[in-house]
Amino acid sequence: MRDAVRRVLAARKDLVAGLPSGLKKREAEGGCGVLGLASTKPIAGRHLFPPMHQMHNRGNGKGGGIAAVGMDPEQMGVSPEVLARDYLLLVAYLDPSCREEVEAEYIDGPFDVDHTEALPTREMEEVPGLEVQPPEVVRYFVRPRENRLRTFAKEADLEDLPPGDLEDEFVYRNSYRLNTAFYASLGEQRAFVLSHGKDLMVLKIVGYAEQVVHYYRLEDITAHVWIGHQRYPTRGKVWHPGGAHPFVGLHEALVHNGDFANYARVTKYLRQRNIVPLFLTDTEVSVLLFDLLRRTYRYPLEYVIEAMAPTTERDFTMLPERKQEAYRRIQATHIHGSPDGPWFFIVAGRQPGGEMELLGITDTSMLRPQVFALQSGDVSLGMVASEKQAIDAFLRSVHEEDPRIWKVADRYWNARGGSYSNGGSFIFSLREGSEGLELTCTDKFGSPVAVSDAPVTTRVAANGGTLPALEGEDPGAIAKQALGYLRKSGPAEAAGLVHGLRKRGQRSDRDWRLALRSLTLLLDRPYPMEGWRRSRARADISDAIEALLDVGPPGDGKAFVKVDWGGRKLLDPPTEPDSTLLVDLAGFPAENEDSGSRFLVQAHELGWRRMRVFRNRGQRFIGCGLGPDSLAEIHVYGSSGDYLASGLDGSEIHVHGSAQDQVAQVMKTGRLVVHGDVGQTFMYGAKGGEAYILGDAAGRPLINAVGRPRVVINGTALDYLAESFMAGDPLKGGGFVIINGLNVDQRGYLVDRETPYEGGNLFSLASGGALYVRDPEGAVEENQLNGGEFAELSAADWELILPYLQRNEELLGVPVDRLLSWNGRSLPPERVYRKVAAVPLRALIPAHD
Amino acid sequence: MVEAEPLRVVSAPSYIWRTVNKYAVEILPDACIDCGICAQVCPYDVYEMKPGLVHISAPKSSNCIGPHNCEGQSFFCVDNCPTDAIRVGENAYYEDLGDDRWPADLITSTWYMSETGQLPPPGIESRIGDSGGGFDRLHFVFPEDPEPVEEVDTSLDLNRRPWGPRIRTPIPIYGAAMSYGSVSLNVMLSRIRAAKAWGTFCSTGEGGYPEALIPYADHVITQVATGLFGVSEASIQRAPIVEIKYAQGAKPGLGGHLLADKNTPDVARIREAVEKTSLFSPFPFHSVYSVEDHKKHVDWLRSVNPDALISVKVSTPVDVDMVAVGSYYAGTNILNLDGGYGGTGAAPDIAKKNIAMPIEFAIPKVHRFLEGEGIRDEIVLMASGGLRTAYDVAKAIALGADGCVIGTAELVALNCTRCGNCERGRGCQHGIATTDPELVPLIPADFGAQRIYNMYHAWRLQWVDLLTRLGLESFRDLRGRYDLLRYEGAIL
Repeated sequence: MRDAVRRVLAARKDLVAGLPSGLKKREAEGGCGVLGLASTKPIAGRHLFPPMHQMHNRGNGKGGGIAAVGMDPEQMGVSPEVLARDYLLLVAYLDPSCREEVEAEYIDGPFDVDHTEALPTREMEEVPGLEVQPPEVVRYFVRPRENRLRTFAKEADLEDLPPGDLEDEFVYRNSYRLNTAFYASLGEQRAFVLSHGKDLMVLKIVGYAEQVVHYYRLEDITAHVWIGHQRYPTRGKVWHPGGAHPFVGLHEALVHNGDFANYARVTKYLRQRNIVPLFLTDTEVSVLLFDLLRRTYRYPLEYVIEAMAPTTERDFTMLPERKQEAYRRIQATHIHGSPDGPWFFIVAGRQPGGEMELLGITDTSMLRPQVFALQSGDVSLGMVASEKQAIDAFLRSVHEEDPRIWKVADRYWNARGGSYSNGGSFIFSLREGSEGLELTCTDKFGSPVAVSDAPVTTRVAANGGTLPALEGEDPGAIAKQALGYLRKSGPAEAAGLVHGLRKRGQRSDRDWRLALRSLTLLLDRPYPMEGWRRSRARADISDAIEALLDVGPPGDGKAFVKVDWGGRKLLDPPTEPDSTLLVDLAGFPAENEDSGSRFLVQAHELGWRRMRVFRNRGQRFIGCGLGPDSLAEIHVYGSSGDYLASGLDGSEIHVHGSAQDQVAQVMKTGRLVVHGDVGQTFMYGAKGGEAYILGDAAGRPLINAVGRPRVVINGTALDYLAESFMAGDPLKGGGFVIINGLNVDQRGYLVDRETPYEGGNLFSLASGGALYVRDPEGAVEENQLNGGEFAELSAADWELILPYLQRNEELLGVPVDRLLSWNGRSLPPERVYRKVAAVPLRALIPAHD
Repeated sequence: MVEAEPLRVVSAPSYIWRTVNKYAVEILPDACIDCGICAQVCPYDVYEMKPGLVHISAPKSSNCIGPHNCEGQSFFCVDNCPTDAIRVGENAYYEDLGDDRWPADLITSTWYMSETGQLPPPGIESRIGDSGGGFDRLHFVFPEDPEPVEEVDTSLDLNRRPWGPRIRTPIPIYGAAMSYGSVSLNVMLSRIRAAKAWGTFCSTGEGGYPEALIPYADHVITQVATGLFGVSEASIQRAPIVEIKYAQGAKPGLGGHLLADKNTPDVARIREAVEKTSLFSPFPFHSVYSVEDHKKHVDWLRSVNPDALISVKVSTPVDVDMVAVGSYYAGTNILNLDGGYGGTGAAPDIAKKNIAMPIEFAIPKVHRFLEGEGIRDEIVLMASGGLRTAYDVAKAIALGADGCVIGTAELVALNCTRCGNCERGRGCQHGIATTDPELVPLIPADFGAQRIYNMYHAWRLQWVDLLTRLGLESFRDLRGRYDLLRYEGAIL
């Protein structure tokens, strides 16, 4: 077999002979907005609209693309057999006059053509904002001609190759030749192959991704797997989408967010294997690499991922010995082909066995944003995107069409790049099972991602409105009763309770307030729920809250004023100092001078102090710009965007759900409470303030933080926590971070993690401040510290952190007693928490000391 | 137009030391007959026979323009001396001063301009250094018959977007970023006061915004760099210009560093860090790994202060043109290309000049690329990194920049000798790049401001002369005029 691989690559020599090296990138591009979806039910193209539209600010309209896998044969104009058997060749004609020439040489010659169809399009004017004419695209369902295939096998000495592999290589070579002749040669760019895998379609334009759907009339076209990409090329004038994503290998399409530092090195590695890029972008090189490793070398996916994102440092040493052995060899062979720098890939494809796949891979340092999500039910969905808010937008969109899907995923999580824990990659696979398509999700190592199988229902029990839990005057008590009730009741009854609370809110201002507070508590609190799927409950609770906020209290409107995009210019100062402003953010742009963030600043300047903002659709910078010594208390519902609370100086922000990236950077004073996770670079360069996080922080939290930030993270952090921490002496007013190492599991139980921190870098180069790690069994090891040292928790330390843990209990519902218990036993604080303190590092101390 | 606080040229001699003379003039006492002929012939007042005295005074070597400039002239003192009592030659110590980039002539001419506000005397090269490359091999080609110019305009517009505040500075420069900690507070005050007097700006660097600068807030550029030291909503909202530093030309790929000794309690207080520990800022921004992150970063600063101009400081990698276009689309007003010739003694020698593209290549590359993209006139291109003289500034503009950012020259105005000991121990013995309380008072802020003001006054005289000789009315007309530059061939 090894010999056959060698011959396949050797045969490609004639393909690349005489081509320029491709060592210089044609164009640079930055990050992008990416999205991937896999579903057991076919999803119509129109559902790409909301998530891609909400990620406009990650592209600049100079490149958008989509890929689809698992198409509907009828919509494609072929039989199911043809769809499964034939290669689906899509050719973009930048110069339609060359179609005849292309077809004669590269379609009709080599292939038996079962179906040819030009993609229907709209008029350009019908697609608002589209400035560059998209190419004419023709799809061909083809099979390699027997005689041509035999000749090729003979000439290339590949007669022993399995027939499928031979056909794949034949198709690959034909497209390569087409691209060389009509795209890469002589500087003329007339036509190129968009995709050629079976049941795989790629389309791209100069524009935004959702305009692809619009222009090529894909609104009703369905597929089981979609990927979408908003591009941000830095060259201004782009006249055709040749450089846009996705790019294809053979069976897969890939989109990419990032920028390699070693493009030339990877290109050389490929050239050594007779592969030369023709479009000269990182993305093309990435997918060529993927195709080489997967199809040509036939590596299992795990090894493909290892070759692209190698496991390094401590993570490597944590792998089982046998894996180390294999990985060592992969790295020795392929390290030069491994992309270096920030990147995140989403790959979609259909494997020769018929299995559909969607996977995301992050670079080892997790330098690009990434969120994975999974919902499992009558319809199961796997999702991956640059931002959680895009996933939520998608779920909202499909929910409206199909109530079996609900608006909140069972799980949202981040991959830890190059790690021993999940390998920095997750794979969603769709396989034909006994009851139709089944979706599974595994990490790089094949470990499944489990979700709750608790029941999901949309039925509301009739007695919901009369439950005893709904009476009473204290939201805490109501919530407590409700929690007890939710714990033991079935889904219909539980849904009835949520419904009942919502109805109670219509009675009076007072009831509205109680209902809002208790529903908010139900949304925020970690609590066990056996009878109803937690994510489903959260979706209902969120809806109920949104409805309450939308309608407002029934009273005279003094205590509460609601405002939306349409009414933003009519806002008056509050009539009473403690009046609450309800802001419907849905219509506000994500950024710029008209953004929701600026509106909150204006409201604050008018004297508004209490604000509840809802229908957040990824709006950025919430809480920014309020200025020094600000006094607002802002509650955020919905999918908040990046940079929330960055620079916060005085105000208090509660995020009822998860927050995204760059949260609370350079925060100075005030308080942030997040009833969920936070993304990358949380509190980077923070100066102070208090933050309480129910879940996890992603990569690089608290880097370069100084002064006196005081932070409780009840989950964990992915890596690089508190690097270059400089926050003084915590016992003398400096800062600290408490890591509790808890997890809220799928049923809502608080469970202890095996280790509170898995990363290889903890407190690196820190010169001040401290970490308090809840780690009774000493799972965190010396070799995870790069400069810090473990110290005993003194009475003074406990006295310092206890009030913060108590506040944490009050705000997030994580009891101090629970924190001090381990395996059911209550332990003294010094047996539970370990302190990590700064040590004088030689690199940091004065020269003359 | 930013309102300038009028300051006038006042002589500001250094009281630390007398200037180092280029030439040494000696009268041999045994041979001199005190005839006084030398005092009569020398047009440069090297010699003086004070009225009522019979002896010639000690010669003023500082005024001498050098024997090679006088040889063959009727006023050459040596030829005129009847007793052969005069010795004129190079000052043996002079060459010890400076280095190839900043040779003794450039340092002493900068000192002269800073003291007097006037053009330096002939015989001292005030335009170029001896580096053998870069701006030192570029020369202006003056037309023989330039268009007559009525009035020369040396101003610079800092916002060329159709939106946002209009800011025009009367001279085409502003002060480069130097942090509190890397230099003393007095030095910061000297620079900012001079900037205010000229109606221009000066950047805080990344060490935070000391309270003493607040009265000058309208002229302070606040920096947001990778360490985020001292960055707060208050400092961003106070600033007319916010500068994002992605990289420094003197050390691309390296973050900032302040060694422990210079991190005094007050420096640590402003940065809110731990005193007497070394402070590093990372490279790059942990929140910016792509142009889309960059756009978000710019959007963030705008959401905090919608009225600020955003400046982006980058080094000069080979794809700097792409960086420039990306910055444009992210909404940047000013793009600051920082080349590798600059940096104080704290930047590692291995990095200085050795990484990234020379600035004289980067400027036209970016200028032309932006022109090709049709967006050149919406973004302001500032060049920096070892631009030492009025002529360097003019050359950078002729290569395609709109203006320049000046750092080291302002320190030389304050008596910096380019000894390069900026970093270790107590820092600069001249009281510039130091935070040591005993050394800081060596540069009082009034004195420093006057020196820097004087230097720019002299530079402006040079700019007016230069533009007049080129027949151009403003720097806007000079931008991108490669045809007015000549590259002197390489030395083999």
